Amino acid sequence: MLLWGGISALGAAGFGVLALSRGETVNAAWLLVAAVCTYAVAYRFYSRFLAARVFGLDERRATPAERFNNGRDFVPTNKWVLYGHHFAAIAGAGPLVGPVLAAQFGFLPGTIWLVIGVVLGGAVQDFTILFCSLRRDGKSLGQMAKEEVNPAAGAMAMLAVLFIMIILLAVLALIVVNALRASPWGLFTIACTVPIALLMGWWMKVWRPGRVGEASVAGAALLLLALVGGGWVSAHPTLGPAFTHTGVALTAMMIAYGFVASVLPVWMLLCPRDYLSTFLKIATVLSLGVAILVILPPLRMPALTPFATLGEGPVFAGKLFPFAFITIACGAISGFHALVASGTTPKMIERESDARMIGYGGMLMESFVGVMAMIAACTLDPGVYFAMNTTPVALAQASDVMRHAGFVVSPETMQALAARMGEQTLIARTGGAPSLAVGMAQIFAGVTSGLGGKALTALWYHFAIMFEALFILTTIDTGTRVGRFMLQEILGHAWPRFRETSWYPSVLASSALVVAAWGYFLYQGVIDPLGGINSLWPLFGISNQLLAAVALCVGTTILIKMGKARFAWVTLAPLAWLVTVTMTAGWQKVFSSDARLGFLAHAASLVGSVDPNAPRLVFNDRLDAGVALLFMVIVTLLIVTSVWEWWAVLTRSKPAVTREAPFVESAYAAGD
Amino acid sequence: MRRETETVARRLVRAVRQIIGMPDYEAYLEHCERAGHAPRLTEEQYLKEFFEAKGKGVRCC
Repeated sequence: MLLWGGISALGAAGFGVLALSRGETVNAAWLLVAAVCTYAVAYRFYSRFLAARVFGLDERRATPAERFNNGRDFVPTNKWVLYGHHFAAIAGAGPLVGPVLAAQFGFLPGTIWLVIGVVLGGAVQDFTILFCSLRRDGKSLGQMAKEEVNPAAGAMAMLAVLFIMIILLAVLALIVVNALRASPWGLFTIACTVPIALLMGWWMKVWRPGRVGEASVAGAALLLLALVGGGWVSAHPTLGPAFTHTGVALTAMMIAYGFVASVLPVWMLLCPRDYLSTFLKIATVLSLGVAILVILPPLRMPALTPFATLGEGPVFAGKLFPFAFITIACGAISGFHALVASGTTPKMIERESDARMIGYGGMLMESFVGVMAMIAACTLDPGVYFAMNTTPVALAQASDVMRHAGFVVSPETMQALAARMGEQTLIARTGGAPSLAVGMAQIFAGVTSGLGGKALTALWYHFAIMFEALFILTTIDTGTRVGRFMLQEILGHAWPRFRETSWYPSVLASSALVVAAWGYFLYQGVIDPLGGINSLWPLFGISNQLLAAVALCVGTTILIKMGKARFAWVTLAPLAWLVTVTMTAGWQKVFSSDARLGFLAHAASLVGSVDPNAPRLVFNDRLDAGVALLFMVIVTLLIVTSVWEWWAVLTRSKPAVTREAPFVESAYAAGD
Repeated sequence: MRRETETVARRLVRAVRQIIGMPDYEAYLEHCERAGHAPRLTEEQYLKEFFEAKGKGVRCC
């Protein structure tokens, strides 16, 4: 008890230092201390309360993995191994990019939201859905919504997932396009991953079936070769220009890639690439953690910037409330996790009690990744950060505030930095990935030069870009594929043959539709004068948070039906916060009279303009407004139907029937 | 001693495969043996089914 008192005090001291720092630079160590102590206390006490009192996890109850053990998808798995597997499935580009963008407000708001949000919201959501699915033979979120709330809720949840997927894929693709624009080194490395993955697929499926390990080692070695080779290619007089492309050309490549990857058999391209990216993800996250601990860099970004209260930030518009809370979705709370927590993970849990570490603990780890991304971004000079993350148009609009706050940087400094990173330019490289890569490169370069080696800054920069782009591409493959399955299912209601997942006309048509949908948003983002991320990222944040609201609604329904209504606040509190934040943000994005913030106001400001692009921009603004409104309407309907159901159950006008699978005694509890 | 190192190495490889989400036919064979039935799938069928199931999973943002 004394120990936990000490840990709490240390965490509080960490936050105290962060909050009270004014003017002087703070060391990243304080950020780490505050975060880790909070996680430890929350895990020890709150997750234990959830596991024991709220859910009543039962060691003696056989899990789906035990009951349906088939040696393939239902496999009882060691909890540490499953922790790694689950973490690799939930953590992607989201927790890296969100905090980098939110650094516009300073390091403090984003960090507090990452840490508090995960402890009371994100980890609770993941744990709850994992528990619910675990008790229902590993059913998906959509199925649970259908069975526990009502069929209409199930259909709405599915529709919401499909729309969110499209916005997510567009924004992730945009990040990759922005990171590879005019970057021959980056493009060469990423392009190489396609033949490398194909080779690995052929190796483990055709040449030496089942030899996945060999194929992966070969793949990893070739990947490093491609990384080093990229430096040579970018300096080459003919190859360099051949790999230098504009955003529009890269967009076409991404769209073609997404289509092909989602149609090919998974073993050919999708799985091998997934293996490489998972290797790289885990290894890089671990080494970044160690590197930050070794270097303990000072944070050069202030705790709070003027944009927090002014709401005229050049990275994205809007004030701290509500926009900090939707910019950082993954890392604090992410609705997408509900899909993983009701997908493969519940089918692999060995004992019910393991769900605490995997569901709650896994999400804490993702939040920690978010904190590290925040640190990496805030080690940059604020002038550099803003020059990288804004377009010249957006920068010009905010130039007064920037000059006043001292966030200025000379073009020469930017040019020198670009040269050190092996890039042509680093100005207006929006999307968060390049600035995170610069931050990571400086941290890693600090370690390698500290160990007596060369700084290798340019190599580290492109390593970081490869690390991010690789798993974004994996999300694009799998997301397009999952979107295709959903579309086939939906269209199958009108034309049953469409549902056949091996009928080629249906496969090709639905893949093309999904790719066209995200491709459209991607293209519009690429040619947007304000830089696409400006409008797409908030849209993605809103949609992801609303999916979390859906998951929390399902979780609350199940808790109430289990007779645990007195504990329903554990999901209701984050739900109420999320609904407040997202509905406010959604409303402002649609209806704000400020043309920098509101889609409709921006459209209105362009009507009648002489700019030849105006009609297109007006149309897109209205489309974005429509998408945001659609999300808000779907979620409102879902909440209303859920509340209706809760009311019926609580007033006993409807019996509380859950679809929980019956109790089966576990063989593990009986002593193996 | 050598035998022990081998088992440790094999368990490590298996853990890595599970974390990354790779197929493991050997583990499947062991599962069948424990469950007391002959393997229902050949290695080829196992890989085919494994990858098919894999294509339906989601990777997060």
